[in-house]
Amino acid sequence: MTFLARLGAPVRGFLEFLGDQVHLVLRTLRFGLLLRLGQLPIVGAQIRLQIRFTGLQALALVSGTALLLGAVTLIQAFSQLSGLGAEQYIGVLMVLIILRELGPLLTAVLVIGRSSTAIAAELGAMQLNGEVDALAAHGVNPYQYLLLPRWVGVLVSVFALVVFFDAAALAGGFLVAKLKYGVTFGFFMDSVRQTLSNRDFVATLLKVVLFSGAITFHACHFGLGIRRSQTEIPQAVTRTVVTALVAIFMLDGLIAALFYF
Amino acid sequence: MIELRDLALAAPDGRLLLQDLALDVPRGGRQVLTGSSGSGKSRLLQVIAGTEQPLRGRVAVGGRLLWPGDGALTLTGCVEVGLAFARGGLLSNLSLGENIALPLRFRGLPAAEVAVRVGAALDRLGLLSVAGLRPHALSASARKHGNLARVLALDPELILLDDPLEGLDSADRAAALEVIREWELDPGKTLVIAQEEPDPFADAPWCCFAMPSTPVLLEVP
Repeated sequence: MTFLARLGAPVRGFLEFLGDQVHLVLRTLRFGLLLRLGQLPIVGAQIRLQIRFTGLQALALVSGTALLLGAVTLIQAFSQLSGLGAEQYIGVLMVLIILRELGPLLTAVLVIGRSSTAIAAELGAMQLNGEVDALAAHGVNPYQYLLLPRWVGVLVSVFALVVFFDAAALAGGFLVAKLKYGVTFGFFMDSVRQTLSNRDFVATLLKVVLFSGAITFHACHFGLGIRRSQTEIPQAVTRTVVTALVAIFMLDGLIAALFYF
Repeated sequence: MIELRDLALAAPDGRLLLQDLALDVPRGGRQVLTGSSGSGKSRLLQVIAGTEQPLRGRVAVGGRLLWPGDGALTLTGCVEVGLAFARGGLLSNLSLGENIALPLRFRGLPAAEVAVRVGAALDRLGLLSVAGLRPHALSASARKHGNLARVLALDPELILLDDPLEGLDSADRAAALEVIREWELDPGKTLVIAQEEPDPFADAPWCCFAMPSTPVLLEVP
């Protein structure tokens, strides 16, 4: 019986966590739809703040990382495939490795490192300081003022960052291909275009939506769960990072299986 | 206005603070919750505001069921509540003026009216000069008055004040007391104050509820 209880406790905890995530998403959606016209500028200002922090301020980091990744991917590929007509596979390599998988995944990892940690810590501090209670008590719905702007802000930012990541990675790959094989820009882009399909666009969009949801609501769940002391904040941040990473890897695997298996 | 039935409250550490509480505060009522530090009076105030969930029991405000239910979200757009916190309660990324204006703007009041109400509330409590500062840059008494100014600007029908006079010097105390006395004269306002001693709200029309001095020492599962 004790063994079964030990086995069941984490399962129950996981199911409770999932239930809470669904609850947060549904309530945020519901209260988002109930926003009045006069409240839109207030919520809009919060969304702009979130986009500035999550998207704009991370642009250089994401672009730089992607540029290097694109270049390194082709350097490694060429070092293994030289003599086998590696330049013929440039498009396949770039689309399979960068655009399909690493673009959305690494962008999400960077956003988790920068933004979901910040969201969890900020909401935790607000919770401890009575700020969330003050909002709710005075008729400012925390789902509308805190959760919805963060979700929309992260969604817009992740989408934009994935686009920039892919563009920068392609630029890095092109630089290597040009220096190594003298490949022209037209040939490079044609090669990428031939491999890229509509399915890749749909899969990437789905990843952006699901990843941004996972990033935001994991951070909100752990941040708003803080009730007692400031020592809970670093714990909440760590939990946010670990569970959000696990969630996006699981979602990535699920989407890969759904679209390409 | 406030109806509490079979209410049980637990402290964050699991101690049972009170149980089987039944309390009614009529519309326009004046209620003081007294008790020693840690007796749960602030917690009871937050349960009434809908920001804390009780362990058990039923809480209704203005005829709307808060607990069991959605808490403060149930009251949005139906019953206007003002809650002055003993500590904290002001958003740290907004200035004092923005803090006071936010609930009014969210309610959809025109910008001009918001500016007038915020200005008047800040002026009344002597906070105009620090309106542009964020809470961390304010003194403790200014933060406390800031909480009071937010309630003043909101002009709600249910006013909940948590230790509104604690830690204030005589001038600040007099200013806060003057605002509270003014609310006291308004029959449209229901007031609930939590503080250690009933004084200066010991006499009629105030009703006093003393929290159990020794918390019920039972472990809550």
